[in-house]
Amino acid sequence: MNQPSASGDAAQGATAAELREVILAVDGVTEVYPARPLWQTIAGAARSAVTGDPLPAVLVEFAGDTAHVRTRIGVSGARPAPDVARSVAGAIRAHLGPRPATVQVQIVQVRSEAKPAGEST
Amino acid sequence: MSTSGDTFECGHSLEQLSNYLDTGEFSDPGHLPDCPECQAGLASLRRLGELGDELVTADLAAAGNGTDDWMQSILDNLRLELRPGRDIPVHAGTAGDILTETEGSISALIRSVTDSHPGTAAGKCRLDGDVGTPGAPVTVRVDVAVVFGHPLEERAAALRRDIAAALARHTELNIAAIDVTVADVLEPRLQGAPAAWTSRPPQPSEETP
Repeated sequence: MNQPSASGDAAQGATAAELREVILAVDGVTEVYPARPLWQTIAGAARSAVTGDPLPAVLVEFAGDTAHVRTRIGVSGARPAPDVARSVAGAIRAHLGPRPATVQVQIVQVRSEAKPAGEST
Repeated sequence: MSTSGDTFECGHSLEQLSNYLDTGEFSDPGHLPDCPECQAGLASLRRLGELGDELVTADLAAAGNGTDDWMQSILDNLRLELRPGRDIPVHAGTAGDILTETEGSISALIRSVTDSHPGTAAGKCRLDGDVGTPGAPVTVRVDVAVVFGHPLEERAAALRRDIAAALARHTELNIAAIDVTVADVLEPRLQGAPAAWTSRPPQPSEETP
Protein backbone atom coordinates (compact mmCIF):
# COMPACT_ATOMS: atom_id res chain seq x y z
CA MET A 1 0.00 0.00 0.00
CA ASN A 2 1.28 3.45 -0.81
CA GLN A 3 1.80 5.67 2.19
CA PRO A 4 0.40 9.06 1.29
CA SER A 5 2.14 12.34 2.03
CA ALA A 6 0.51 14.97 4.25
CA SER A 7 -0.77 16.91 1.22
CA GLY A 8 -1.83 13.67 -0.38
CA ASP A 9 -3.74 12.82 2.78
CA ALA A 10 -5.87 15.93 2.43
CA ALA A 11 -6.66 15.28 -1.22
CA GLN A 12 -7.45 11.65 -0.57
CA GLY A 13 -9.52 12.49 2.45
CA ALA A 14 -11.59 14.96 0.45
CA THR A 15 -12.06 12.47 -2.36
CA ALA A 16 -12.97 9.72 0.10
CA ALA A 17 -15.57 11.93 1.78
CA GLU A 18 -17.07 12.86 -1.59
CA LEU A 19 -17.15 9.25 -2.68
CA ARG A 20 -18.91 8.21 0.51
CA GLU A 21 -21.75 10.57 -0.35
CA VAL A 22 -21.74 9.36 -3.96
CA ILE A 23 -22.00 5.74 -2.80
CA LEU A 24 -24.75 6.47 -0.28
CA ALA A 25 -26.75 8.14 -3.03
CA VAL A 26 -26.87 4.92 -5.06
CA ASP A 27 -30.29 3.31 -4.91
CA GLY A 28 -30.17 0.26 -2.67
CA VAL A 29 -27.15 1.28 -0.57
CA THR A 30 -27.96 1.50 3.13
CA GLU A 31 -24.53 1.81 4.71
CA VAL A 32 -20.92 2.55 3.88
CA TYR A 33 -18.73 0.70 6.33
CA PRO A 34 -15.07 1.47 7.04
CA ALA A 35 -12.96 -0.13 4.35
CA ARG A 36 -11.24 -2.67 6.53
CA PRO A 37 -8.67 -4.01 6.88
CA LEU A 38 -6.71 -1.05 5.56
CA TRP A 39 -8.24 1.48 7.92
CA GLN A 40 -7.00 -0.63 10.78
CA THR A 41 -3.36 -0.28 9.82
CA ILE A 42 -1.16 1.04 12.56
CA ALA A 43 -0.08 4.00 10.44
CA GLY A 44 -3.63 5.04 9.70
CA ALA A 45 -4.79 4.65 13.26
CA ALA A 46 -1.80 6.59 14.54
CA ARG A 47 -2.41 9.47 12.12
CA SER A 48 -6.04 9.55 13.12
CA ALA A 49 -5.15 9.59 16.80
CA VAL A 50 -2.71 12.46 16.31
CA THR A 51 -4.82 14.61 14.00
CA GLY A 52 -8.19 13.78 15.47
CA ASP A 53 -9.52 13.33 11.95
CA PRO A 54 -11.85 10.39 11.52
CA LEU A 55 -10.61 7.54 9.38
CA PRO A 56 -12.15 7.72 5.91
CA ALA A 57 -14.94 5.27 5.21
CA VAL A 58 -13.82 4.86 1.63
CA LEU A 59 -10.23 3.96 0.85
CA VAL A 60 -8.72 6.00 -1.97
CA GLU A 61 -5.16 5.63 -3.14
CA PHE A 62 -3.47 7.20 -6.12
CA ALA A 63 -0.74 5.45 -8.06
CA GLY A 64 0.33 7.88 -10.75
CA ASP A 65 -2.83 8.83 -12.59
CA THR A 66 -4.72 5.78 -11.47
CA ALA A 67 -7.08 5.88 -8.52
CA HIS A 68 -7.67 2.73 -6.52
CA VAL A 69 -10.92 2.83 -4.58
CA ARG A 70 -12.15 0.29 -2.08
CA THR A 71 -15.43 0.37 -0.23
CA ARG A 72 -17.58 -1.96 1.89
CA ILE A 73 -21.30 -1.46 1.79
CA GLY A 74 -24.58 -2.69 3.14
CA VAL A 75 -27.53 -3.00 0.79
CA SER A 76 -31.28 -3.18 1.14
CA GLY A 77 -33.40 -5.87 -0.42
CA ALA A 78 -35.06 -3.35 -2.71
CA ARG A 79 -32.72 -4.12 -5.60
CA PRO A 80 -30.66 -7.21 -6.41
CA ALA A 81 -27.40 -6.88 -4.51
CA PRO A 82 -25.15 -7.55 -7.56
CA ASP A 83 -26.90 -4.75 -9.44
CA VAL A 84 -26.27 -2.41 -6.53
CA ALA A 85 -22.57 -3.34 -6.49
CA ARG A 86 -22.27 -2.59 -10.19
CA SER A 87 -24.13 0.69 -9.77
CA VAL A 88 -21.76 1.70 -6.98
CA ALA A 89 -18.73 0.93 -9.13
CA GLY A 90 -20.26 2.95 -11.96
CA ALA A 91 -21.06 5.88 -9.70
CA ILE A 92 -17.49 5.94 -8.38
CA ARG A 93 -16.11 5.95 -11.91
CA ALA A 94 -18.49 8.70 -12.95
CA HIS A 95 -17.41 10.83 -10.01
CA LEU A 96 -13.72 10.35 -10.76
CA GLY A 97 -14.23 11.42 -14.37
CA PRO A 98 -11.69 10.44 -16.99
CA ARG A 99 -9.07 9.45 -14.44
CA PRO A 100 -8.18 5.73 -14.74
CA ALA A 101 -9.51 3.83 -11.76
CA THR A 102 -9.89 0.41 -10.26
CA VAL A 103 -12.80 -0.16 -7.94
CA GLN A 104 -13.34 -2.78 -5.28
CA VAL A 105 -16.82 -3.06 -3.86
CA GLN A 106 -17.49 -5.57 -1.13
CA ILE A 107 -21.05 -6.17 0.05
CA VAL A 108 -20.93 -7.05 3.72
CA GLN A 109 -24.63 -6.83 4.58
CA VAL A 110 -27.74 -7.75 2.62
CA ARG A 111 -31.04 -6.96 4.25
CA SER A 112 -33.95 -9.17 3.40
CA GLU A 113 -37.17 -7.44 2.48
CA ALA A 114 -38.91 -9.19 5.38
CA LYS A 115 -37.05 -7.11 7.94
CA PRO A 116 -38.40 -7.52 11.45
CA ALA A 117 -40.27 -4.53 12.78
CA GLY A 118 -38.12 -2.13 14.78
CA GLU A 119 -34.81 -3.27 13.31
CA SER A 120 -32.33 -0.42 13.26
CA THR A 121 -30.34 0.81 10.28
CA MET B 1 -29.64 -14.88 27.34
CA SER B 2 -26.20 -16.20 28.06
CA THR B 3 -23.52 -17.12 25.60
CA SER B 4 -19.87 -17.99 25.79
CA GLY B 5 -17.29 -15.37 25.00
CA ASP B 6 -15.80 -16.12 21.59
CA THR B 7 -14.91 -12.93 19.78
CA PHE B 8 -15.55 -11.83 16.22
CA GLU B 9 -12.87 -10.32 14.00
CA CYS B 10 -13.78 -6.90 15.37
CA GLY B 11 -12.89 -8.01 18.87
CA HIS B 12 -16.42 -8.05 20.26
CA SER B 13 -18.44 -11.09 21.19
CA LEU B 14 -21.96 -12.42 20.94
CA GLU B 15 -22.14 -12.22 24.72
CA GLN B 16 -21.42 -8.49 24.59
CA LEU B 17 -24.12 -8.02 21.98
CA SER B 18 -26.56 -9.98 24.08
CA ASN B 19 -25.72 -7.84 27.09
CA TYR B 20 -26.17 -4.74 24.98
CA LEU B 21 -29.68 -5.82 24.02
CA ASP B 22 -30.47 -6.63 27.63
CA THR B 23 -28.98 -3.54 29.25
CA GLY B 24 -28.23 -0.98 26.55
CA GLU B 25 -24.63 -0.93 27.70
CA PHE B 26 -21.70 -1.55 25.36
CA SER B 27 -18.03 -0.81 25.89
CA ASP B 28 -17.63 0.88 22.52
CA PRO B 29 -21.07 2.06 21.37
CA GLY B 30 -19.59 4.01 18.48
CA HIS B 31 -18.39 0.76 16.99
CA LEU B 32 -21.81 -0.79 16.46
CA PRO B 33 -23.02 1.32 13.51
CA ASP B 34 -19.71 0.71 11.71
CA CYS B 35 -19.57 -3.07 12.08
CA PRO B 36 -21.70 -5.25 9.77
CA GLU B 37 -20.88 -8.39 11.76
CA CYS B 38 -22.16 -6.85 14.99
CA GLN B 39 -25.20 -5.51 13.14
CA ALA B 40 -25.96 -8.99 11.82
CA GLY B 41 -25.48 -10.44 15.29
CA LEU B 42 -27.86 -7.93 16.84
CA ALA B 43 -30.47 -8.65 14.19
CA SER B 44 -30.23 -12.40 14.77
CA LEU B 45 -30.41 -12.03 18.55
CA ARG B 46 -33.48 -9.82 18.24
CA ARG B 47 -35.20 -12.39 16.04
CA LEU B 48 -34.31 -15.13 18.51
CA GLY B 49 -35.82 -13.00 21.24
CA GLU B 50 -39.00 -12.69 19.19
CA LEU B 51 -39.15 -16.46 18.86
CA GLY B 52 -38.73 -16.75 22.61
CA ASP B 53 -41.59 -14.29 23.02
CA GLU B 54 -43.76 -16.48 20.81
CA LEU B 55 -43.01 -19.48 22.97
CA VAL B 56 -43.79 -17.65 26.17
CA THR B 57 -46.94 -16.18 24.68
CA ALA B 58 -48.03 -19.70 23.81
CA ASP B 59 -47.65 -20.46 27.51
CA LEU B 60 -45.99 -23.74 26.71
CA ALA B 61 -42.71 -23.24 28.47
CA ALA B 62 -40.27 -20.70 29.77
CA ALA B 63 -37.93 -20.64 26.81
CA GLY B 64 -35.37 -18.19 25.55
CA ASN B 65 -33.05 -18.01 28.52
CA GLY B 66 -30.17 -19.30 26.43
CA THR B 67 -29.69 -22.44 28.48
CA ASP B 68 -31.97 -24.63 26.37
CA ASP B 69 -30.03 -26.99 24.15
CA TRP B 70 -31.74 -25.83 20.98
CA MET B 71 -31.07 -22.16 21.63
CA GLN B 72 -27.51 -22.84 22.71
CA SER B 73 -26.99 -24.69 19.43
CA ILE B 74 -28.33 -21.73 17.50
CA LEU B 75 -26.08 -19.35 19.42
CA ASP B 76 -23.07 -21.57 18.84
CA ASN B 77 -23.69 -21.46 15.11
CA LEU B 78 -24.30 -17.73 15.16
CA ARG B 79 -20.94 -17.28 16.79
CA LEU B 80 -19.28 -19.21 13.97
CA GLU B 81 -21.16 -17.56 11.16
CA LEU B 82 -21.00 -13.92 12.18
CA ARG B 83 -17.72 -13.55 10.40
CA PRO B 84 -17.02 -12.26 6.90
CA GLY B 85 -15.94 -15.68 5.62
CA ARG B 86 -15.09 -16.25 1.99
CA ASP B 87 -15.51 -13.72 -0.81
CA ILE B 88 -18.29 -14.52 -3.27
CA PRO B 89 -17.60 -12.92 -6.66
CA VAL B 90 -20.10 -10.74 -8.47
CA HIS B 91 -19.74 -10.08 -12.20
CA ALA B 92 -18.11 -6.69 -12.70
CA GLY B 93 -19.31 -4.43 -15.44
CA THR B 94 -15.81 -3.05 -16.02
CA ALA B 95 -12.61 -5.06 -16.43
CA GLY B 96 -10.30 -4.66 -13.48
CA ASP B 97 -13.05 -3.97 -10.97
CA ILE B 98 -13.52 -6.47 -8.16
CA LEU B 99 -17.04 -6.86 -6.84
CA THR B 100 -17.75 -9.35 -4.08
CA GLU B 101 -20.17 -10.32 -1.36
CA THR B 102 -18.98 -11.79 1.90
CA GLU B 103 -20.10 -15.29 2.80
CA GLY B 104 -21.19 -13.88 6.14
CA SER B 105 -23.58 -11.45 4.49
CA ILE B 106 -25.24 -14.26 2.55
CA SER B 107 -25.44 -16.52 5.61
CA ALA B 108 -27.09 -13.65 7.47
CA LEU B 109 -29.53 -13.20 4.59
CA ILE B 110 -30.47 -16.88 4.74
CA ARG B 111 -30.92 -16.60 8.50
CA SER B 112 -33.10 -13.57 8.11
CA VAL B 113 -35.31 -15.28 5.52
CA THR B 114 -35.58 -18.35 7.73
CA ASP B 115 -36.30 -16.43 10.92
CA SER B 116 -38.99 -14.40 9.17
CA HIS B 117 -41.16 -17.52 9.12
CA PRO B 118 -43.33 -17.65 12.25
CA GLY B 119 -42.13 -20.07 14.89
CA THR B 120 -38.90 -20.82 13.06
CA ALA B 121 -35.26 -20.15 13.90
CA ALA B 122 -32.19 -20.94 11.84
CA GLY B 123 -29.50 -23.06 13.44
CA LYS B 124 -26.55 -24.21 11.39
CA CYS B 125 -26.33 -22.46 8.04
CA ARG B 126 -23.64 -23.44 5.55
CA LEU B 127 -22.69 -22.81 1.95
CA ASP B 128 -20.97 -25.99 0.76
CA GLY B 129 -18.95 -25.67 -2.41
CA ASP B 130 -16.40 -23.40 -4.02
CA VAL B 131 -18.26 -20.13 -3.62
CA GLY B 132 -15.22 -18.23 -4.90
CA THR B 133 -15.46 -19.75 -8.38
CA PRO B 134 -18.26 -18.38 -10.57
CA GLY B 135 -20.62 -21.12 -11.70
CA ALA B 136 -19.37 -23.75 -9.27
CA PRO B 137 -22.26 -25.72 -7.75
CA VAL B 138 -23.10 -24.70 -4.20
CA THR B 139 -25.32 -26.54 -1.76
CA VAL B 140 -27.06 -24.61 0.99
CA ARG B 141 -27.57 -26.51 4.24
CA VAL B 142 -29.82 -25.02 6.89
CA ASP B 143 -30.84 -26.54 10.20
CA VAL B 144 -33.96 -25.07 11.74
CA ALA B 145 -35.86 -25.27 14.99
CA VAL B 146 -39.63 -25.11 14.59
CA VAL B 147 -42.19 -24.47 17.29
CA PHE B 148 -44.64 -27.33 17.82
CA GLY B 149 -47.85 -26.89 15.87
CA HIS B 150 -46.32 -25.59 12.65
CA PRO B 151 -46.61 -28.07 9.74
CA LEU B 152 -43.08 -29.26 9.12
CA GLU B 153 -43.30 -30.35 5.48
CA GLU B 154 -44.99 -27.14 4.46
CA ARG B 155 -42.52 -25.11 6.48
CA ALA B 156 -39.52 -26.84 4.89
CA ALA B 157 -40.94 -26.37 1.40
CA ALA B 158 -41.69 -22.71 2.04
CA LEU B 159 -38.19 -22.15 3.42
CA ARG B 160 -36.57 -23.75 0.37
CA ARG B 161 -38.70 -21.61 -1.91
CA ASP B 162 -37.94 -18.36 -0.09
CA ILE B 163 -34.24 -19.07 0.36
CA ALA B 164 -33.94 -19.97 -3.34
CA ALA B 165 -35.69 -16.74 -4.30
CA ALA B 166 -33.48 -14.63 -2.03
CA LEU B 167 -30.28 -16.22 -3.30
CA ALA B 168 -31.35 -15.90 -6.93
CA ARG B 169 -32.07 -12.22 -6.37
CA HIS B 170 -29.07 -11.26 -4.28
CA THR B 171 -26.25 -13.53 -5.46
CA GLU B 172 -24.88 -14.98 -8.68
CA LEU B 173 -24.24 -18.34 -7.04
CA ASN B 174 -25.08 -21.56 -8.86
CA ILE B 175 -27.31 -23.13 -6.22
CA ALA B 176 -27.37 -26.89 -6.81
CA ALA B 177 -29.54 -27.76 -3.81
CA ILE B 178 -31.05 -26.35 -0.67
CA ASP B 179 -31.18 -28.85 2.17
CA VAL B 180 -33.45 -27.89 5.04
CA THR B 181 -33.27 -30.08 8.12
CA VAL B 182 -35.74 -29.68 10.95
CA ALA B 183 -33.25 -30.34 13.71
CA ASP B 184 -35.52 -29.44 16.61
CA VAL B 185 -39.24 -29.44 17.20
CA LEU B 186 -39.95 -27.41 20.27
CA GLU B 187 -42.80 -29.03 22.16
CA PRO B 188 -44.04 -29.41 25.73
CA ARG B 189 -43.50 -32.60 27.65
CA LEU B 190 -46.38 -34.95 28.18
CA GLN B 191 -48.91 -34.43 30.94
CA GLY B 192 -47.43 -34.69 34.40
CA ALA B 193 -43.90 -33.87 33.36
CA PRO B 194 -42.30 -30.54 34.22
CA ALA B 195 -42.87 -27.85 31.66
CA ALA B 196 -39.84 -27.81 29.41
CA TRP B 197 -38.95 -28.05 25.78
CA THR B 198 -37.81 -31.29 24.26
CA SER B 199 -36.55 -32.11 20.82
CA ARG B 200 -37.76 -34.69 18.39
CA PRO B 201 -35.20 -36.52 16.23
CA PRO B 202 -34.04 -34.59 13.18
CA GLN B 203 -36.27 -34.81 10.14
CA PRO B 204 -34.22 -34.07 7.06
CA SER B 205 -36.01 -32.77 4.06
CA GLU B 206 -34.02 -32.34 0.88
CA GLU B 207 -35.00 -31.14 -2.52
CA THR B 208 -33.32 -29.54 -5.47
CA PRO B 209 -34.73 -26.03 -6.04
